Amino acid sequence: MPSEDTGRVRSTAGPRDEPTGSRPSAGGRPAPAGAAVRAVLRAPFTRRAWRELLYAVAGVPLGAAGFALTVAFLGPATVLTISLIGTVLGLVLVMAGLRVARVVSAGQRALAGALLGERLPQLPPARRETGVLPRVDARLRDGPGWRAVAAATLGLPIAVAKYIAVLWWAFGVFSLTSPVWWLLFRNHPAGTHLSPVHFGRLAVETWPGTWLAAVAGAAILLAAPWLVRGVVVSELWLLRRILGPGEMAARVATLEQSRSEVVNEAAALVRQIERNLHDGAQTRLATLALHLGMARDKLAAGGPGEIAAARDLVEIAHAGAKEALVELRNLASGIHPPVLDNGLGRALENLAAGSAIPVRVTTHLPERPSPAIETIAYFSAAELLANAVKHSSANVIEVAATSPPGGPFVLIVTDDGRGGADEACGSGLSGLRHRARTVDGTLTLTSPPGGPTTVSVELPLHP
Amino acid sequence: MAGMRVVIAEDSALLREGLVRLLEDRGYEVGAAVGDASSMLAAVAEHHPDVVVTDIRMPPTHTDEGLRAAAELRKQHPEIGVLVLSQYIETTYATALLAGNAGGVGYLLKDRVADAAEFAGALERVAAGGTALDPEVVTKLMRASRQTGGLGGLTPREREVLVLMAEGRSNAAIAAAMVISSGAVEKHVASIFGKLGLPSSEADNRRVLAVLQYLRA
Repeated sequence: MPSEDTGRVRSTAGPRDEPTGSRPSAGGRPAPAGAAVRAVLRAPFTRRAWRELLYAVAGVPLGAAGFALTVAFLGPATVLTISLIGTVLGLVLVMAGLRVARVVSAGQRALAGALLGERLPQLPPARRETGVLPRVDARLRDGPGWRAVAAATLGLPIAVAKYIAVLWWAFGVFSLTSPVWWLLFRNHPAGTHLSPVHFGRLAVETWPGTWLAAVAGAAILLAAPWLVRGVVVSELWLLRRILGPGEMAARVATLEQSRSEVVNEAAALVRQIERNLHDGAQTRLATLALHLGMARDKLAAGGPGEIAAARDLVEIAHAGAKEALVELRNLASGIHPPVLDNGLGRALENLAAGSAIPVRVTTHLPERPSPAIETIAYFSAAELLANAVKHSSANVIEVAATSPPGGPFVLIVTDDGRGGADEACGSGLSGLRHRARTVDGTLTLTSPPGGPTTVSVELPLHP
Repeated sequence: MAGMRVVIAEDSALLREGLVRLLEDRGYEVGAAVGDASSMLAAVAEHHPDVVVTDIRMPPTHTDEGLRAAAELRKQHPEIGVLVLSQYIETTYATALLAGNAGGVGYLLKDRVADAAEFAGALERVAAGGTALDPEVVTKLMRASRQTGGLGGLTPREREVLVLMAEGRSNAAIAAAMVISSGAVEKHVASIFGKLGLPSSEADNRRVLAVLQYLRA
């Protein structure tokens, strides 16, 4: 899915999440030799291997048939169309061929889903048009359909590869069981060669020889699942390449997603500001007005008791007014910190000065980033510092804001705390990630248990 | 109405305390001052107040808890007045609140607490089964009203009277507010009802409804 693959955001939350190869080996640490040997020995007996074998077996006729059908339609169609004799018939055949290729790729997708649990990209449907010519046009210029044709054409070599891989299995089984065959067919007529196993021109002709063949068969069987896996994995990779959305489409999907994030975030922010004003300054001012109104009434009444009461009320109102000022100031600087006007470096130092854990700030910014980037960097740093103070038990935090010449802007926040930060635990990191993504930036978290935790936010200097 | 018993629901502790101070200063008895709608309903059951003052946006969802609690209260205890206080005026809230019966209900901007006497007057009116509608509601409705023909026929004085009348004030209160005689107010009222074609000479809260209905028609 484009949203996952093209997010351009990586997270390596400790060694647990290290990308693993085709076979997830023990625990994530570099697999010792013993584990590798065990994996090889066990391979033929895993469910996965059997499913892949089944997939390959089914894939041989399916691939061959898909290729044959597609070519059967498109081959004559091309000839007819080019020869101009039967252009109309040719075009009809082209359309039929495209349809067939789509059906073949749907079958392919269903098979991979059912047997392997792999989700191949689904082809978007052809454009729907009304009127004969627009419809023909839409059918002929059906990009996804042509991609299905390409996939179906490639289906033939893949089917051949699958066939070989399947044979490998059969060959292994047959060799492994050759002593059985020897016993079963021992009383063969004189002169008949019993040669169940050929290695090139080699044939097994003796009883001990069958055991040699059996050993060879076992070796073949151990290799067979890996061969099948190689073929299947390459096929899936190819199909994803061919059937998946193009780079442009993936980019569009990413942009659409980040745009909707921006819009939603902006709406949420405005809402939050309204809420803060409503619960904060507005209420404080209403209370202030209430107290001043009461004081005015007391003063108007003018008795000595009333004057004293009015003095108390003015005192309360005065304190309330000061609190309202603080509240409004905090709210305003939360919307846009004025200290940012003096540059990100000063703003980060300001943040550092207010931190409960000592913070070392280094900034090296030969070129000043755009205001939007500075704002994102500032709020990211603020959030990351707050996270570190809350969770890391670190002794020192380092904040670095740099932009190498010609490179992007990079903010790195590192602490020497206990590590183990997990984005899934609602640490606000995903919010920062979204924010970075809105300008095509990335956020990388590295936080192995035991620390250190490093968060790196990479943003373009000018979005 | 000294000794009138009040229950207050307002989630801001600051304003809640201010309200308590204001009401107690005027000799009312504050039975309970709570921070959310369900506590308010419980407090009403316990204290049997004459009138309830409630905020609209309160925990847990900070949307219209107070309004819903007010509607509930009006259904269960029609004898208890409900004065809804809010930072904003929504005409839809006003019409929902007054639906069918403008007696014993009020809807005011929080700003109105700045004028203790006015606020207390509105509260007493609501407790006594009258209406207290914020002038903001009335002017908003007048601005949005399609009855521009009828309203345009009113003199500025009559428009002033119309607003005060829609707020739920009695003729005497209108006279006091405009510093004119009661007789003059009666003449204005009769003229307004005549020009707008409304059935005249009804109880104060009935004529609130009549004016609102006219404005929204």
